[in-house]
Amino acid sequence: MTNVLAINQVGYKHNFKTILHDVDLTLETGKIIGLLGENGAGKTTLMRLITGSAKGSGTIAVCGDTSTAHHKSHVSFTEQLRGFAASTRVDRVADFYRTVYPDFDGARFEELVTFLQIDTSLKLAALSKGMKEKVIIALTLARQVNLYLLDEPFSGIDSMSRKRIISSILKWKPADATMVISDHYVSEIAPILDEVVIVKDQTVYAHKESDAIREEFGLSIEDYYESLYAEGGADRD
Amino acid sequence: MKFDDKVPIYYQIKNHLYHEMMTGQLAPGEKLPAVRQLAVDLTVNVNTVQRALGEMITEGIITSQRGKGNFVTTETPRITQLKEHLIMDQLERAYEQLHALNLSDEEIIASLKQYIAQRGQQDD
Repeated sequence: MTNVLAINQVGYKHNFKTILHDVDLTLETGKIIGLLGENGAGKTTLMRLITGSAKGSGTIAVCGDTSTAHHKSHVSFTEQLRGFAASTRVDRVADFYRTVYPDFDGARFEELVTFLQIDTSLKLAALSKGMKEKVIIALTLARQVNLYLLDEPFSGIDSMSRKRIISSILKWKPADATMVISDHYVSEIAPILDEVVIVKDQTVYAHKESDAIREEFGLSIEDYYESLYAEGGADRD
Repeated sequence: MKFDDKVPIYYQIKNHLYHEMMTGQLAPGEKLPAVRQLAVDLTVNVNTVQRALGEMITEGIITSQRGKGNFVTTETPRITQLKEHLIMDQLERAYEQLHALNLSDEEIIASLKQYIAQRGQQDD
């Protein structure tokens, strides 16, 4: 089994405050990984470190390449559509993606747009929360890369949109690509996760196979996650 | 499909497929949907479906034909055997729980008969 991601002793500080420290994490190809942690635990920071848009200490190898400048060509991550004016139409954003990313597959994007029922003539400012997440998913999955990062795609959206998004992930994630989905509420995506990575105490606190959690502890992923948070950070010192 | 999140998903997928075979929704020799299609239909991970099917292939309930897909076995005795196995499994669990309540074998049989009789009345 080959690794798509190898994080070695990574740390990140912001204004002298430690956000993440001593992060070690290896992910294999072809998996769906749940990145779980409370709000502010450092999940988004970890994603930004992986893409190279944030710089920290330690090394991060994507497909064996430790040069963060090369990571953007292996990783698809759409961070909240930041950088686009509110008056930009969805199809203009897609045009931008097509220009910037050689791996952006227009036909795949059209399929996703149809499946997710997106009106691409809408301006970003006119998108509901759920529709905005669908646009992000379509843009992210239309690229053909080794690693997909989705940052809390289900927060604050209705259950029908959630089901569509989950189906689109199962349909369009390439078999040998790995996808990391962050969330602070796990029960809705638990059945589709191969593994869970739990961020706590500014580091990767646990990394386990989902079915191993159920098999070994007889616990749901949610109960396991909550039990780790109930342990409290002081116990490990 | 609704899953019990405390039970390994691959195990629940197997049970779901066993159930379909025993009720005839999946007939002997019938082709199973493609792995990704099953994953989308059940809203589970492709790798988990793969694991469930892999175990069922080892058990001889499913046969894999290179390039063609997965098929329910045509050996009906194997399916009958599976059915007996699942029945024994359920009975064993129920028996053990009743036994733990200090019921004798006679009492267990009597309460089962009584239960079925009462159920029959309720159904009418």
